Amino acid sequence: MPRSLWNGTITFGVIAVPVKLYTATESKTVRFREVHLADEGKIEHRRFCSKEEKEVPYDEVVKGHEVREGEFVVLEKEEIEAAAGDRAKIIELESFVEATAIDPVFYEKTYYVGAGDAGTDAYRLLHDALGATGRAGLGRFTFHNREYVVAVRPLDGILGLHTMRFADELVPGTDIDFSAPSRKPAEKEIEMARKLVDSLHEEYDPAKRTDSYREAVLEMIERKASGKKPRKAKEKPPEETPDLMAALEASLAGKQ
Amino acid sequence: MPRPLWSGSISFGLVNVPVVMFSAARDLGVRFNQLHGKDGARIETRRFCAEEDKEVPFEEIGRAFDLEDGKTVVVTDDELQEVAPRRTRTIDIEAFADLAAIDPIYFDHPYFLAPIGDSDGTRRAYQLLVEAMDRDEQVAIGRFVMRTKEYLVAIQVRDERLALTTMRWGDEIRSTKGIDTGGKKPAKAQLDQAVALIEALGTEWEPEAWDDRHRARLEDVIERKRKGQTIKAPAQEREEPSPVPDLMAALEKSLAEAGSGKKKAAPRKEKAEARDGELADLSREELYERAQEEDVPGRSSMSKGELIDALEG
Repeated sequence: MPRSLWNGTITFGVIAVPVKLYTATESKTVRFREVHLADEGKIEHRRFCSKEEKEVPYDEVVKGHEVREGEFVVLEKEEIEAAAGDRAKIIELESFVEATAIDPVFYEKTYYVGAGDAGTDAYRLLHDALGATGRAGLGRFTFHNREYVVAVRPLDGILGLHTMRFADELVPGTDIDFSAPSRKPAEKEIEMARKLVDSLHEEYDPAKRTDSYREAVLEMIERKASGKKPRKAKEKPPEETPDLMAALEASLAGKQ
Repeated sequence: MPRPLWSGSISFGLVNVPVVMFSAARDLGVRFNQLHGKDGARIETRRFCAEEDKEVPFEEIGRAFDLEDGKTVVVTDDELQEVAPRRTRTIDIEAFADLAAIDPIYFDHPYFLAPIGDSDGTRRAYQLLVEAMDRDEQVAIGRFVMRTKEYLVAIQVRDERLALTTMRWGDEIRSTKGIDTGGKKPAKAQLDQAVALIEALGTEWEPEAWDDRHRARLEDVIERKRKGQTIKAPAQEREEPSPVPDLMAALEKSLAEAGSGKKKAAPRKEKAEARDGELADLSREELYERAQEEDVPGRSSMSKGELIDALEG
């Protein structure tokens, strides 16, 4: 049984749905700790005052926001908390939008939402009704003194909750500037490229691909642990394609 | 133009397109620095060897991995670089899939790719990829290595540019097993009412309507602190509502409220002027509405002055 991160209530209309929140994702990247190469001693991060050249105990550290070059406004913990709003453990679903209308680029972190100990019929009702309408519920959620906008939608038989990026936190494509080619790709080239896309089409299956780098790192660690030399992978520099059409034709031919 | 984070080339069959990568998301949250309370000087983090109690320069630091049998293996960045299973300067496209077939839970960080260099051929090859993929909601699935980590990526067309999103690996998504899926399946009449309620509260997706109230409040707190005002955290007043015994009655009540417009379907936007000290210009009714929006406790018995104080505080 997974452990919940947060217990609270989702509301829609006057209906209260007690819920529990769970972690949905976890990084499997191989984690290392820092060591001193000379003696394999543990590396400690120590806080130093840049003025006094002296180590600073944690209780003397404060948080400051730089309002202007070199000018800081120091905020106490309580003052930072004041910005979190009333911190009520309620996610009020204020509106419902077509789930497919939200570009996933807005989704930041995902959590699973399970039913709470009471009101479990209301949980199932919300889940099924969201599924029937194809809509996601939007609301505000305060977690660890930070307010988020979240989308709630059915996910794998339960409810999923995504914290969302704000519109101004997404870089518009027009900020990425480059000049257009002097002449557009020919219809024939586009057609060939599309054929290549079609020939490489697959039903997406997340289980099919594994992190081969993670595997290689773990293998290297094992080889080193048993006193063997790590194997090296070769790298070939990529080159620019001189003749698009020829490359497309050769790619397609290679597929058949 | 933002700063490029990676450069290399995207490889699609035998077609190679040199590209640079930019982040497509920026965190606009208010940033804090650690300072020494006594003198306001910045805090620096220094790395010390615990054995020698001595500061260690960056190049003398290695990465250690603790094995289950208690042994430790130390590896260098060079060794990590060397086991990279593929070309580290190439995004290899392995397949194409329907965007709808990939649940958003797999998407991590968004980026943009732009063609690099003065070559007209490169820009034309980039344009060719855009044209070939910009239909039927197709995404390219590929891999690449950035800073000693391999990423699975989805590439699609957004704003007429190639947009790359790093993805989580299949085993990085946790199982939903053991999570309570709720009570009994709702009766048809109940489900119909709930569907009607959701439709009644339905709106278009307007990302700009959802402002970062937390950021605005934090900026406001900073501004007030700068002027020497005292700031207190509001009490946690709103109690969690209890689940209702009669779902059907609650649905009917909710629908009636949604129909009368008592519950606003559109997201609430905090009014900027409410923060700009113009509260005194508002009538008590207007102030009361604001207080309702902000859920100010005890608002119904407050005078105009008290409401202004509560909204400012």
